[in-house]
Amino acid sequence: MATLNPIITLQRIAAAFAAPLTPALAVLFWLLLALPTTALATASTAEQDPLNSFMWPVYRERFLGDAPVVFDERVTVSAPGFAEDSGQVPISLDASALEASGEPITDIIAWVDLNPIPRLFHYSPMSHGIAKLSLNIRLEQASAVRVAVKQGDTWHVGGTYIEAEGGGCTTPGIASADTDWETTFGELQGRLFANEDEQRLRVRLSHPMDSGLIPSQPAFYVQSFELLDQQGQQVAALDIDASVSANPTLGLHMRPSPGGYVIGARDNNGNRFSIGLQP
Amino acid sequence: MKAGFLATFSTLLITPLAASEPVMFCERPLTAQPIAENTWMVEGVKEELSTSNCGHIGNQAFIATPSGVILIDSGSSPHFGEALKTLIAQHTAQPVRWVLNTHHHPDHFFGNAAFDEAQHLTLASTRALMARDRDALIDNVARLTGHSLEHSSIALPKVIEAGEITLGNYPLTLFAMSGHSGGDLVIMDHATDVLFLGDIGFYQRAAATAHSPSLQQWLEELNDLRALNASIAVPGHGPSAPPETIIGQTTHYLEWLDQRLSDVASEGLGANHALAVEIPSMFSTMALSEYEFTRSVMQLYPHYEARLLWGAPH
Repeated sequence: MATLNPIITLQRIAAAFAAPLTPALAVLFWLLLALPTTALATASTAEQDPLNSFMWPVYRERFLGDAPVVFDERVTVSAPGFAEDSGQVPISLDASALEASGEPITDIIAWVDLNPIPRLFHYSPMSHGIAKLSLNIRLEQASAVRVAVKQGDTWHVGGTYIEAEGGGCTTPGIASADTDWETTFGELQGRLFANEDEQRLRVRLSHPMDSGLIPSQPAFYVQSFELLDQQGQQVAALDIDASVSANPTLGLHMRPSPGGYVIGARDNNGNRFSIGLQP
Repeated sequence: MKAGFLATFSTLLITPLAASEPVMFCERPLTAQPIAENTWMVEGVKEELSTSNCGHIGNQAFIATPSGVILIDSGSSPHFGEALKTLIAQHTAQPVRWVLNTHHHPDHFFGNAAFDEAQHLTLASTRALMARDRDALIDNVARLTGHSLEHSSIALPKVIEAGEITLGNYPLTLFAMSGHSGGDLVIMDHATDVLFLGDIGFYQRAAATAHSPSLQQWLEELNDLRALNASIAVPGHGPSAPPETIIGQTTHYLEWLDQRLSDVASEGLGANHALAVEIPSMFSTMALSEYEFTRSVMQLYPHYEARLLWGAPH
């Protein structure tokens, strides 16, 4: 487990030590360690953030709370090193190596340290989702992008750093301006690619994803996607925020389902969209 | 024609140029390389716009005719244009009377202001793109080179039709293309057999695709240009070379890029999957290959996906 980079070292030591002890002794051990552990954990997190971002302690607390956290190379976040169009930056996460090594993964949270709306999504793979996801995001400025994957009680964190500038002949505002979105609004398109191990779903929803941060342009964005099996049972769920790019395009990886999947989406105005995809 | 060209070429090499101070730009001497009779090119560095190159990343070329100099592209700032003007004056007593801009990217027309006594000419398609993107491109140049530009100094050229034209008494053949930027002027000089490709041709520097309407369009145009019987070609970026060499390299790279994007998009694998590939060693001599490949994937992947997965028209 050389890839593990524990942050809350003392708690882990305490847990390891406490196991063979009697409950009473364990409690005593914890009492002795509780105070310095908390202090040390706070101090070491900032130091050990591999991306060295000053926002790490803030968002770690906001999104992950008090749960144990480790930086883990088995949570990979792929992205280009720089944003050519800061409105559409492709990122993909893959925690399948972590998933293969232990308990099921229950939650995946991603955020951009320096975005005005930092959170990108909260993915619940539930019964059928595999811990892999790709989508395009908005990047306000060069920033660390984080993905935290919850396995058992512990958050395993991966990330990458993306520079936010395009080249000299790039014109992102023009390239991404979709002036006729009203004609395609709500169009949900999808394809399912099946192999032995997984069904890969590629889905695109035509939606402006207005963040509400531009004056006189109210927030109007997709808040959630859900995946249903052929019986209509929810088998995975994805909540997103307006830091996800316009016309959200998702790459989802699902366990094989003979009847395929139905994907539903809902925006903050209550519009609902859905599409069924068969192998 | 060829013998004449070679004879003149050698004359140029043995005739000492006017013993003048070297023209400096960005702490480097700016030089004009003889390409053919009365024809020179000024080669930019094979880099992206930056503070260390002050924006001289694209090529310029000039033809000295009896009725004045024809300049092809003017660099990325009025400041550079001034240096270019001084350099041209070391090679010919004729003033620059015409500036032809091959396309709307900043490294090809932002130097026009230095030649305000000349006529500035470009294709109608290019002029429209200049009008659309000028402000964004001025900001990019300022951000990347660290030198701010007066918006008023970046004026739009007049429109010229493609076909056989005469500037003064000098004939040129203009081709209207669009593969690189949406409006690309390619110029053939039949008097010297020089083909000025603009950014339809990149050589030893990876092609930039930011405004390409489609790689297929670009490849078709490159193929059309093979029919021209030129003896030497000047690319928009990189050194001059025989036309088939430049057209061949740009073509091979764009074909590889097109294949990679098609393969990954048709499987629904995503842009980051497209990026996760080693660039073939045959392209390793090209500057900026990793950088431009990364940019191209981000620019073009959504279009490939739209066409191959969502059935959008080409």
